[in-house]
Amino acid sequence: MKLPFPIRPALSLLAIGSSWLAASSLAASETAIATATATATATARTTAPATSAASSILPGSNEPNGPGALLSQNLVRVTSTTQPYDFTRPWSKRAPLSRRALGAVLKGNRVLVTAECVANATYIELETPDGERKQPARVVCVDYEADLALLQPESDDFLKDQPGLAFATPHVGDSLAVLQLEANGNLLSSKGQMTTAEVVRYPIDDTSLLVGRLNVSLQVRETVLSLPLLKDGSLAGLMLRYDSQSGLLDFIPATVVEHFINDSIKMPYEGFPRMGCSFAVTRDPQLRRFLDLNGSKGGVLITQILKDGPAEKAGVQKGDVLLEIAGNPIDSDGNYRDTDYGRISLGHLVSTKHFEGQLVKIRVSRAGKSLNLEVPVAHRHSEKYLSEPYIIDRAPRYYVLGGLVLEELSRQYLKEFGGDWIHKAPLELVNIDRTQGEGPEEKRKRVVVLTRVLPSDLTVGYEDLRHILVTAINGKPLNSLDDIQGALENPVDGLHKIELLGDPSILFLDAKGVQAIGPDLQRSYGLPALSRLE
Amino acid sequence: MQPRCLLSLKSLSTLTLFLGVATVTPLGPLSQFSLLPERASAAEPSPIRKSLARIGNTSQDPNYRQPWLPGVTMRSSGTGWVVTKDRILTNAHVVSNARFLTLEKENDPKKYIATVEHIAHDCDLAILKVQDPTFFNGTIPLELGDIPEIESEVSVFGYPIGGERLSVTRGVVSRIDFRPYAHSGIDSHLTIQIDAAINPGNSGGPVLQKGKVVGVAFQGFSGDVAQNVGYMIPTPVIRRFLEDIKDGNYDRYMDLSMTPFNTLNPAMRKGLGLANDDKGVLISSVASAGVCSGYVKPGDVVLAIDGLPVASDGTVELEGERVQMAEVAERKFRGDSVRLTLLRARAKMDVTVPLSQAWPFAMQANQFDVQPSYVLFGGLLFQPLSRNLLNSVQFQNPRLTYFFEAFVPRELYMEHPEVVILSGILADPINTYLGEFKEGIVEEINGTAVRTLKDLADAFAKPAEFYVLRFIGNGRPLVLERSAVEAARERIRSRYGVQKEQFLDASIR
Repeated sequence: MKLPFPIRPALSLLAIGSSWLAASSLAASETAIATATATATATARTTAPATSAASSILPGSNEPNGPGALLSQNLVRVTSTTQPYDFTRPWSKRAPLSRRALGAVLKGNRVLVTAECVANATYIELETPDGERKQPARVVCVDYEADLALLQPESDDFLKDQPGLAFATPHVGDSLAVLQLEANGNLLSSKGQMTTAEVVRYPIDDTSLLVGRLNVSLQVRETVLSLPLLKDGSLAGLMLRYDSQSGLLDFIPATVVEHFINDSIKMPYEGFPRMGCSFAVTRDPQLRRFLDLNGSKGGVLITQILKDGPAEKAGVQKGDVLLEIAGNPIDSDGNYRDTDYGRISLGHLVSTKHFEGQLVKIRVSRAGKSLNLEVPVAHRHSEKYLSEPYIIDRAPRYYVLGGLVLEELSRQYLKEFGGDWIHKAPLELVNIDRTQGEGPEEKRKRVVVLTRVLPSDLTVGYEDLRHILVTAINGKPLNSLDDIQGALENPVDGLHKIELLGDPSILFLDAKGVQAIGPDLQRSYGLPALSRLE
Repeated sequence: MQPRCLLSLKSLSTLTLFLGVATVTPLGPLSQFSLLPERASAAEPSPIRKSLARIGNTSQDPNYRQPWLPGVTMRSSGTGWVVTKDRILTNAHVVSNARFLTLEKENDPKKYIATVEHIAHDCDLAILKVQDPTFFNGTIPLELGDIPEIESEVSVFGYPIGGERLSVTRGVVSRIDFRPYAHSGIDSHLTIQIDAAINPGNSGGPVLQKGKVVGVAFQGFSGDVAQNVGYMIPTPVIRRFLEDIKDGNYDRYMDLSMTPFNTLNPAMRKGLGLANDDKGVLISSVASAGVCSGYVKPGDVVLAIDGLPVASDGTVELEGERVQMAEVAERKFRGDSVRLTLLRARAKMDVTVPLSQAWPFAMQANQFDVQPSYVLFGGLLFQPLSRNLLNSVQFQNPRLTYFFEAFVPRELYMEHPEVVILSGILADPINTYLGEFKEGIVEEINGTAVRTLKDLADAFAKPAEFYVLRFIGNGRPLVLERSAVEAARERIRSRYGVQKEQFLDASIR
């Protein structure tokens, strides 16, 4: 049988009328960052024998005074109960779920885990390795982009016998020990060799920082996130993800952790800084000849400058060739020579070797001339994006207007469509998220989306509308949900006129009806409030 | 009216066309059926059966991955029937991309060679001519009937899989509806659903009731999606096709190219200045390249079309049936016009829209009997984005999907009548650093906007030291040196067997 085009799954026809359910059932991932580590934990290898020579119970770990006991004193079990918001029903939370981690005790009564463990946490509890004592804890500082969180027990004496781990910089070729705790409190240490260090994307996919990789065989018996890695008894990193098939473990190296800790000491926490520009590699000899770079070696082409960002403030221009950062020559691939890691991306140099507010000296070539500039590097906060890359520990904003559910576009919303959201979420919304910053400067702060309709007397004929961009109400442009209240004050002829980008292009709602129907909507759909704008 | 939502591709994915593929499986001397007694030659076939033909199509689909090469040939079969004294009617998809067509009749050993005279991809119908006029000896043109009653019985004639000879199945008319036509992928017309078994090979065959043709079997669902659901093209669509080709040309369906939205909501009605009478439909968008552009504005309300009142859900009553307003334009021909009664800013007005062209956006449809256009330069293959290309190459870049789906609703055609993409790279030292540009959309070359593939070809034809291409959303320029391209030209041509470096006229086969 010849088919006119490749047959796709029969989704479209069977999904008629179930559009509400579709979004929620697709929402397999609890949070943005849960997905990235799923590989490490989902496949519990119960069959794993106490195998490789590298895995062994540390000598004397059962004895209170042995070296293992000393070591385990710098570890605590962390159990966190998390409850993410349901962005498709922004007024409600998902069912709570529990996560387990092994925290590394640091100096000053602090416990370090990956941020993923405490994302949207409602309750965090620490437990000594022997299981004898438990205590609630709070988050002192968290950076979801660097995937790191610092916890503090309720009372200082919970960790008083624990000196805290020092940091050790891991190097390629080093033998590192991944620590796990058996159910009975015995320490399990699996050794592996660090194979690479590379700047790659972190679970929040907007961020790239240094990641170390280890070849190690781990026993995976239960879902435990965030295992510490030690080098000669000092903390070398935290596990980011583990693939039991290949035995490859990615970890956040101590270099990144130390930046986080040092930044957290001086509150407010700023985060990892950036230059605020994009660059392109210049290895292609044809491009180099076109740019007239033949006289020099290396350098990358600046292709985009973030409006009001550090690079723009420093006077960097599109088309400049970046030759040097803080005295380090940049090669044509955008790498520099790091004292610890050799040739790695300049991203490490900018983000991890500097702090917000520092002036970083750079040298660029512009029209054949060399220029020295100073870039006041700065972190770019999630809130500054048109479509926020993540919304964690914050409730989604929404406005229910007579049954029309209005929300602000964010990647967190799109991720409700599951791991393959780029292909499954509404194309128009995905396109806005992925191309933000490309076009001319945006006037609007947020993109307001009619995500769906709670059918009511007022919305007859509108029931099937979903995922349409809302541009204005009563003639007032909407730059965020904050503009709605003001726009509703001036109905025309007793009607609210809502302008949309899509089909339909215009809607009307009865203004008095909108006022009157609020309590009915709350009652029949169980809405705790008609809007959340904080 | 065309489906114009952003997700138009997905909505058709499950329909299959009933084209038989010649599965050449030499079973030997009918091993598993040998126990059945061979029936003595049956009585003389009835006049209806004499007027049917089994169509064998040797087709050749174009090669989009290496457009300078011919595509693979394949054989398939379908059914056709005598519609006038010397013409055969069948489905367009039975004879699409045909290189060689044969006809066979019951109780006639001869194979007759046929050619396509008219083909209508938007309504999946075609007319064939036969070289040897003796084919029509003993045949009679089948008469066209009307739309059959729901629940009335019909018989499907054709040559489906399961045997070599004519097959007849029987069923009832289940429903009459406006449905998508899977062949082009973007058209919807009147369709009749029947529950008679329709299988691959039935395509193009007549569905008869009381000796008259009431439809042409053409599509359905594969068994794992829905059972006993077969569709036929009803006679109004067939008649329209026959009428359209009378002047020797097929002009396609006329389309209003605008999107209606219901006015069921009382506040909506009040806001638009409509009385409480369930009349009038809101026009929420008007395609700038469509026939209504300049006559209708978004926000207008259509109160009547050709004097027929339009209801608040966008339907009109036509010959006793409630059908979508678009159906009125569907039944017209190029050169006709429609009269729309509009409410604009609460004032009533009449406009007469000349139907000068069909749906202008062919790139969103499955296309047949076209040769892919392309430009190969420095080992870089540039092609315009089209459904055919997307069906041939698995692209990863979601931007391409967006440009395809939003092409009409966001009017991307205004700036990109053709969306020119770097669809492939023939690896060579000249392009070894250019991998990241693959699947990118070309925005400009040497400062000039690239609106069509021809713009790109023209720019490459102009002498320049460097060709600098900019891609949408990529700040890095793609730079090719003319001298390097010249030096690599023969090397790439011979290494990859490229016979022709560009082809721009997609309409010529």
